[in-house]
Formats: sequence, C-alpha cells, structure tokens
Amino acid sequence: MKAPLIHRSPMPGLGLSMGITLTMLSLVVLIPIGALLLKGASYGPAGIWETVNRPRVWAALFLSFRLSLIAALFNLVFGVLLAWVLVRYRFPGRRLLDGAVDLPFALPTAVAGISLTALYAPTGAFGSLADQIGWKIAYTQWGILIALIFVGLPFVARTVQPVIEEIEREVEEASATLGASRLYTLRHVILPMLMPAALTGFALALARAVGEYGSVIFIAGNIPLVTEIAPLLIIIQLEEFNYDAAAAIGIAMLLISFALLLAINLIQVWSRRRIGHV
Amino acid sequence: MSDATFRPATEETPLARRLLITLVVLGLGLLVLAPLVVVFVEALRQGVGEALASLTHRDAWAAIRLTLTIAAISVPLNAIFGVAAAWFITKFDFRGKAVLITLIDLPFSVSPVVAGLCIVLTFGANTAIGGWLVGQGYPIVFAMPGIILATMFVTFPFVARELIPVMIEQGRAEEEAALTLGAGGWRVFWTVTLPNIRWALLYGVLLCNARAMGEFGAVAVVSGKIRGQTATIPTTIEMLYQEYLSVAAFTLAAVLALLALVTLLLKTLLELRHADQLAATHRH
Repeated sequence: MKAPLIHRSPMPGLGLSMGITLTMLSLVVLIPIGALLLKGASYGPAGIWETVNRPRVWAALFLSFRLSLIAALFNLVFGVLLAWVLVRYRFPGRRLLDGAVDLPFALPTAVAGISLTALYAPTGAFGSLADQIGWKIAYTQWGILIALIFVGLPFVARTVQPVIEEIEREVEEASATLGASRLYTLRHVILPMLMPAALTGFALALARAVGEYGSVIFIAGNIPLVTEIAPLLIIIQLEEFNYDAAAAIGIAMLLISFALLLAINLIQVWSRRRIGHV
Repeated sequence: MSDATFRPATEETPLARRLLITLVVLGLGLLVLAPLVVVFVEALRQGVGEALASLTHRDAWAAIRLTLTIAAISVPLNAIFGVAAAWFITKFDFRGKAVLITLIDLPFSVSPVVAGLCIVLTFGANTAIGGWLVGQGYPIVFAMPGIILATMFVTFPFVARELIPVMIEQGRAEEEAALTLGAGGWRVFWTVTLPNIRWALLYGVLLCNARAMGEFGAVAVVSGKIRGQTATIPTTIEMLYQEYLSVAAFTLAAVLALLALVTLLLKTLLELRHADQLAATHRH
C-alpha cells in the first residue's frame, strides 16, 4: 500500500502552515525561477547556446568559474587551518578571531567591494606596496581573486569547526601509541575525518563565488574579455534591455549553481555512507 | 626529562603551533580585518564633521529611510514564512519533505544577480503579469515591491533553516501534551512552541535583517537605482563611489559596517548564552 501524501496528525495548523509555506515559496522563489527557466525553454538549447557561445560571454563565464575555483581552493586550505587553530589552540584574542571569521558573511558586499578597492588600489595601503614591485592588484584578475577569497572565507572554517570539536582524543592517542608521528596522524587520521565537511564548505564557497557581484565589481576593472565577470554581463545586458541574452546567461549560471548543489548533496550522501554521519 | 620538553603525543610542537597561529592571525588580519578598518579610516579622512554632513544629505537620508522600510517589511514577512515552514515541516509527516527543504534553501545557491533577473523576467513591465500590474498602477520592477521581493528572495531561507533543526530536536511531545490538556492550536503555539524557539527565531531574524539591509546585487537589478526614490543604502554607496564622493560613500558604508558589527556581537552573545536553544551547527 502506498503511503498517504500527508499522514493524519493531531497537530493543529496544517492548513495554515502549509498554505503560508507553499504560497510564499511559490510567489517569492518558485515562480520567478520558473519564469527564467520558461524563458530559457522558449529559446530551446540551440537558442541558449547561440547566446552563450560568444567570446565575451565565454570569457566572462570562464573567468568567473576559474577564479572562483582558485579562491575556493585557497579557502579550503586556509579554512581547515583556521578551524584547527580556533578549536585546538588557546591564545589571547582567539574569541575575537573567531568572531572575525563571520565578518565576510555580515559585511554587505558593496561595503566589502569599495573597502577592498581602497586597500588594493595603487594609492591604497596594500596596493601601493605591491605597486613598488610592479604588482598590480586592483583592476586586474588579482583583485577579483582577493574579493572572491574574502566572500568565501567563512564557509570551510565554519563547516569543519564542529567536526574537529567532535574528534575524540583517544583516536589520536591510539595512533600515537601505534608509533605514528604527529604529522602522520594528522595526515592519515585527522584529515580524512575532516574531508567531507571541508569539501561541503569548498562547494559552498565555490557556489557563492561564482555568483558573487557586489564585492567584485568595484575592484575588477570590468574590462570585457579580461576582468568582466558573468553576473556583471547579465546586468549590462539588462541595462541594454537585451532580456533574451540576460536570460540565457542567467540560465547558464543557474545550471552551474544546480550542479554545485547536487555535488554538495552527493558529498553528504557519500560521507554519511562512509562514516555514518555528516 | 624536564617539564619544558614534555609534550603530549596528541599535540603539535610549540614551534608548529606558533607558526600556525601566526599564519592564521596574519591571514585573517590582512584579508578580513583590514577591509573593515579601511571603511572607517576612509569615512573619517576629512574629519568627523565632514562625514556626518554627508549623512544628512537628502539622497543619503532617503536611502537610509528606504532601506529601513524595506527591512521592516521583508524581515517580518520572512519570519512568518520561517515559522510557518518550520511548523509544517517538523509537526507533520508528508511525502516530498526533503524536496521542500531543498527548495527553501535554493535562494542561497542562486546568484543575487540571477535572483534579480528572475524577478525582472516575472514582474517586469514587458511581461504578462508585470504589464497588467503596471496598467493597474502597481509597478513592481523599478519600484518598492520589486526591491522587497528581491530582498525576500535572497534572505528567504534564513529563519526557516535556523528553526527547522531546533524544532526537530525538540520533538512534538510538549505540544501533544498541551493539546491533550485541552489547549487550542494558537494557545499551544504562543505558550509552548514560541518560548522554546524564541532564541533561534531571534538568531534567524538577526541574520536575515543584516542581509536584507546590505543586499546589493539583487536590489541593483530590480530597483533601477532612482536617486531619492528606489536607491537603497548599498546602491547609493555605489553611486556615490562612482562619482568620486569617497567620504560620503564610505560614511554610508561605515553605517552598514556598524550594523554588521552589532549583528555579529548580538549573534556571539546569543551563541554564548543560549547555545542549547540554537541549531546544532552553530554550537562551538
């Protein structure tokens, strides 16, 4: 016998809570995303391909994805280190540092954008230092990379931190008694335990970076083919009332987001199967 | 063996520790704290008077008022959604629950610009719905309703995803007991459920509000950035910055940075004092 769609329950408020949930979800999220997908369906794959398959669009998509990948890889390594230091070590200022990790989540992107630009522009505090060795950061791909590292910084640290807290010292002690060096224990015992959470954080940081707009556009320089990111290209198309092109690029980005979301879920299924919990 | 050289086998060498701590402090300092400090340095570059004067400018003031209005409408709406969705998901058993949760989380993985684009394609003046609404005198895009929709889209999951794990953990026993004792549905909610979830609710609302006031990408697409009318604080910061009005731009930015700091402070306070009543992922 097939399970009923909704089980009978003595709890009150089924109609009201379901009504509010489904109505608001549809109105705010599903109908707008549906409108974009519908627009895409009306051009068909060939129509979307024709719009996307132009040097400027490819350059923007490729740039967004490539720099996001590098930024997320940096954050993967730095995030794991950060989580380890924050959980395991005690030092003055640790709580402050722990709070600072969330700053990129809390600071509005436009604020981060102009302050990063002020820092890394040739006249800025860091930019002028880099300028002396001929290294231009703001208005180049380096600037975009720094902005993307900034917005993705908390993800890996925050997903890995609870996992490190859960690790029982006995495991490390066992490894040490069996003659493993500290480095060997870290690499072959600790790191595999952190991997699923770290990869989830990595995918989240990547997804965030690919779609990031506010913190990037100020520092990017926005030169077509060189430092023009995909979200900016959508805005440019919209400002020229070129809705079809905007929608086509939007769909390409939506597909990348869905693929990353799927990857995150697969990582979690895989890790649940491997160690029994996330 | 002297005490100074004794080290448990489950710890790194002091040198390695010191190296790692230095690395992390330097990294966070350069990447995260420096940008925060710069906001205030640039805002106060020409003195406190100049900064305050730029805040009282007509456009800046209009932007602050608009952002507060947008938050005052979209945050409560999302809080109501979050409570309703969490109630529906945790108090009832139905098929497709996992799909529903994924759909609620969806806005977090969509680019804000794409979110704005979706709203323009649904409610823009050249669409069926949008065209009709404009005809009735209710434009959505390039007007306040569009900004509210865009803000709600990007902040949609905040309250729900904070409440759902908390309410799953608390189970249904207390509500069921209240019902057996004859309490009505609303009474159960106000006197049993709400006191149990109030800190988690506050936590979700706090994060939702910070994002709502600071949202830039989605709002930039739908608002049209009409000065004094549809320009929020973040879009006004962009306009001022591009007109080389650095002090004015950074002063407004400092207002948002202060909001971010207050949010972080309250968030940390909640985590310290009510950790047992917040979602498990935040416990540390």
